[in-house]
Amino acid sequence: MLGPRKAQTRPAPRRRGRVHGGAKGAPVSPGRRGPLCFSDKGGAGAAAALTAGEEPQAVQGAGGPRRRGGRPSPAGRGEGPGHGEAAAARCGASGAGSLLRRRPRGTARPARRARPIAGAVLGSQSPRGVLGRVAAVTEPRAAAAAGPVQRPGPGARGDRRLRHRGQGTPGLPPLSRTGHRRHVFQAFILEQAAPHLCPSCSRLRKPPRRLRKCITSGSIALNPSSPLHHSGQLRGQWAVACLASRVRRGSQASFSSQRRVSSSGSISTRRAAGSRSPSTASTGKAAAEGWAGGNQDAVRVFDDEGKDVTPHPLFHSDPNRAAPRQGELWSLSARFAARETGFVAPFPTQQTPGVKASWSSFPRTNGSSSTSVSNTSTAEAALDDPLGPGSRQDTTVGVSGKEHELDVQVKRGEIKEELTREDLDRRVDLYLTETETLWLFYMPVAVVSVESEEAGRVLEQNRIYVDICRNRAGNDRIADKMMQTINEATKNKEVQCDKIIMEDKGTVVTSWDLYDSFSASEIEPATKAEGSRAPPGKSSTSHPTEEHNQTRSLSSDRGSPSRRTISGSPVLARMPEEEECHSAAILTSENFQQHLFCMERILMENIFQPKLAAYRQFPILTDPDVTPDTSGTVGLVTEVKQEEHDKKKKDKAEQKEAFIDPSILSDLNKTPEETVPPRLEWLWSYKCDLTAGHRVSSMTWSKVNPDLLAVGYSAFDFKAQKEGLACCWSLKNPKWPERVFRCEHGVTALDFSAASPNLLAVGMYNGAVTIYNVASCNTAALLDSSQSSNKHTGPVWQLRWVEHNRGITGDGKKERLICISADGRITEWLIQKRLDCTDLIQIKRTESKKIKLPGGEKRKSEALISQQAAGMCFDFHPKNTNIYLAGTEEGHIHKCSCSCTEQFLETYRGHKGLVYKVAWNPFSTDMFLSCSADWSIMLWHQNSQTPVLTFSSTTAFVEDIMWFPKSAFTFAAVNESRAELWDLSVSISSPVISCSAKPHVKFTAVLFAMNTNCLLVGDSRGGVSVFELQNLAAPNSNEADILYDIMGVAVAP
Amino acid sequence: AEVEETLKRIQAHKGVIATIVMNAEGIPIRTTLDNSSTVQYAGLLHQLTMRARSTVRDIDPHNDLTFLRIRSKKHEIMIAPDKDYLLIVIQNPCE
Repeated sequence: MLGPRKAQTRPAPRRRGRVHGGAKGAPVSPGRRGPLCFSDKGGAGAAAALTAGEEPQAVQGAGGPRRRGGRPSPAGRGEGPGHGEAAAARCGASGAGSLLRRRPRGTARPARRARPIAGAVLGSQSPRGVLGRVAAVTEPRAAAAAGPVQRPGPGARGDRRLRHRGQGTPGLPPLSRTGHRRHVFQAFILEQAAPHLCPSCSRLRKPPRRLRKCITSGSIALNPSSPLHHSGQLRGQWAVACLASRVRRGSQASFSSQRRVSSSGSISTRRAAGSRSPSTASTGKAAAEGWAGGNQDAVRVFDDEGKDVTPHPLFHSDPNRAAPRQGELWSLSARFAARETGFVAPFPTQQTPGVKASWSSFPRTNGSSSTSVSNTSTAEAALDDPLGPGSRQDTTVGVSGKEHELDVQVKRGEIKEELTREDLDRRVDLYLTETETLWLFYMPVAVVSVESEEAGRVLEQNRIYVDICRNRAGNDRIADKMMQTINEATKNKEVQCDKIIMEDKGTVVTSWDLYDSFSASEIEPATKAEGSRAPPGKSSTSHPTEEHNQTRSLSSDRGSPSRRTISGSPVLARMPEEEECHSAAILTSENFQQHLFCMERILMENIFQPKLAAYRQFPILTDPDVTPDTSGTVGLVTEVKQEEHDKKKKDKAEQKEAFIDPSILSDLNKTPEETVPPRLEWLWSYKCDLTAGHRVSSMTWSKVNPDLLAVGYSAFDFKAQKEGLACCWSLKNPKWPERVFRCEHGVTALDFSAASPNLLAVGMYNGAVTIYNVASCNTAALLDSSQSSNKHTGPVWQLRWVEHNRGITGDGKKERLICISADGRITEWLIQKRLDCTDLIQIKRTESKKIKLPGGEKRKSEALISQQAAGMCFDFHPKNTNIYLAGTEEGHIHKCSCSCTEQFLETYRGHKGLVYKVAWNPFSTDMFLSCSADWSIMLWHQNSQTPVLTFSSTTAFVEDIMWFPKSAFTFAAVNESRAELWDLSVSISSPVISCSAKPHVKFTAVLFAMNTNCLLVGDSRGGVSVFELQNLAAPNSNEADILYDIMGVAVAP
Repeated sequence: AEVEETLKRIQAHKGVIATIVMNAEGIPIRTTLDNSSTVQYAGLLHQLTMRARSTVRDIDPHNDLTFLRIRSKKHEIMIAPDKDYLLIVIQNPCE
């Protein structure tokens, strides 16, 4: 394939000569050339067919000579006139004398310039079939015009054209549009025809559509897939097709070309020789053809689809065209013409003789005998040379003459317009029939056997080609040229699809979002790992557990909020119920409880803030925005105050009356009188619905948290026992206890452990001792004495955790739980797996002893009978924890030792009734206080069998007493009607402060706050009132001594 | 049950005007106010709480908002935020 390709792609025109000269040019080799030649048969045949019926003249004049075989070649000249007739179809009539007139005006240069192209185009006559046919069709008129009468259409048109171009005559309307198009085409062709086209580029792959149509409609088979479609040859052919089909001035072109041939004989000769074809002849013929084609303007050709495929002239003479180009173009055209071997063109013999001579000098043989032809042509050219000037002259004359003739024709046509128009109106039937396949290009396989004859030649060619390619860079003959190709036709296609819905989504990520997601991703693997670890265990477990797991996992599938609750609640929520379940879940979640709890505290804080501050002895800050609506409280307080005042006055009155030691008392009384009298200010009450209706039986502070108060509640009436309560109140919420321990029986005593601050021991009316853990929310008892064999059989009246600093056994510090019960025993409870006790002292025996003791010898029998004297209270000595006091039902107080379980160390007799409470003075440890149901409070010295002082203010049971922890003189006592605060340094006959209870309320317990000057008083309605002690005298340093003094004074008399 | 009691108690406390419980989306679950006020409170306080929590957590992602108290001339609004709900109590401390 290489060889041929090389040949084809060679820069055609210039090379040509050389190639020919070298006789090596593959393209021109006969073998090659053969197939390249257009088989004229088709065209001719078609023309013949077309013309056969209608145009005998044309056949004779133009078509006839065309025939390859049948044309008498040499006779060309002789036939001149005949040809002239044929060619006269257009310009032929040129015989008219007015040629001269044309001449001066004639655009010689343009014409000449145009000529080469035209010639080239004409020479390559590829679409000649069509043209021929068309020409044939139009021929009749031409024929008719052969005489003096011209066809109106073509002639007129052509003339118009000329005029329009040459003279600038206003263009005729019908052509103005197409004229423009022609320009375009022309330019195109010229471009194509440029000799220095890069042959290897794909400049023109396809002929213009119109041209193609022209070709195809003319039944000229152009193989579009021909690999050589871009070759110069083929291009030339197209060009020919265009030009030949519609150049109106074909004749002119042919003339000029002819003239050229004649004038520049050498070139044309060479060309002719190179092509070995009758270039001039063919040119001439093509020109004739073109001319004939020009006639088509009158006739329009339509293709199957009804489109106008009438060929249009491609060429316009361009006055400004660069002269140098001419030669190239011309040579190209020559080449094209040369290509056209074997094509016999009709000669436009209507030209001047000189021209004719030059034309006709060429043999009209088939291109087969190339050498001979070339020779002939050479000869002819040579012959023509001398005639150069003349011929040129002639030519020009001829041309001009022709033009003039055309003018004349036009005139004539105009004259005859009406007639011909009628003719035109006549229906003209055009029959386009398919002709034989016309081979425009054929390239045989280029593979040649090495052994064949051609092998050497082909190899040589290849070598040459390689050389050429190698030298390409610096070769003048090869030039790169940019060329713009036709753009591929774009195609718009509409496609419908569903609307694309665009959605914008935005999210804001905060740093903690990132943190959460990261931590979540960290946690997840861990849980997964756990999960993967879990299965083995699961598989080993029994079925029910698996099911349980499943349900749990099922519930965990839900949102985290619901999961918590669902796992807690036995009912699995269904989908529709999810909403409710969700809210329920929230409401039952632990977090929610916790938050409610906090919320309540906060509310309490808001409400009680001033009072809490007072409790803490902080300055009370009032919210400037809030108008404190404490009138009620103030009123109450003032009321209380006034009461106090009244009482104080009364007390003072009493005091004066009950004259004991005026000097001392007056001394002592002076201090309070100077200052503001002390008073109790009610702050709040620990009270709630739960505790209402209960009787506060005992109160105790947590040893660690001084704000935590444990209160035991029992039935108001001991005769109608009901459930008891043990509540833990926090200072932060006076309205609801932190812990509520419900007990089956009334709580009679309770105490916090010091060693384990979370343990709360509760003694009950039935003798049971229970230990609760207040740290947990679980209200179930931690330990219970129910399993103890030694459990109390009577109410546990008092219960206390006691630290034994000097244990008997020497185990150091040890905390014991000591109880005293109405069954007459004081027991020590051991906190083990189960609660058990040992008796510290045999209460029964002490009872009997006690009976013996008081009874002495008198009431032995009685002692035997009454064994039920119950212990009511006890108190351990603050320093010597071995020593304790025990108060009994019958009013005796025994001093006992832990080391002596058989007998009392001492017995103090004074009370006539139940001893409700005994209390050692925390500072003066020899003194203790006791209160009794006999309305009296007695101050004892442990060495004295009789009470040092007896205080009795009201006629009511003194339920409880307590020493003020900060002062040795002060103690609080509650009797059924009121709470009293005694300050012995002030008065030993009446309380400093007293606060009466509301009606139907009895005070039952009293407790000093550990860290503040507050007094807590429990009542029979379940409330624990908190009072602030205001304006208490500052405790003296040597209180103990003063107390002794007081006591001494008291005792002395 | 205990929760109910507590809620009742809270509502019964001095100066308590309203108790609102809403879920994480700000939808009131339980309220003692009328509808419109509840919706208003819920919407606004939910936003505020989320903002407050965001603030706290932005400052330190390990931290979290546990309680929010808004003291105004007339009221104190106390918000206990949780992952799943908001507990709001509105109190008039002057009463």
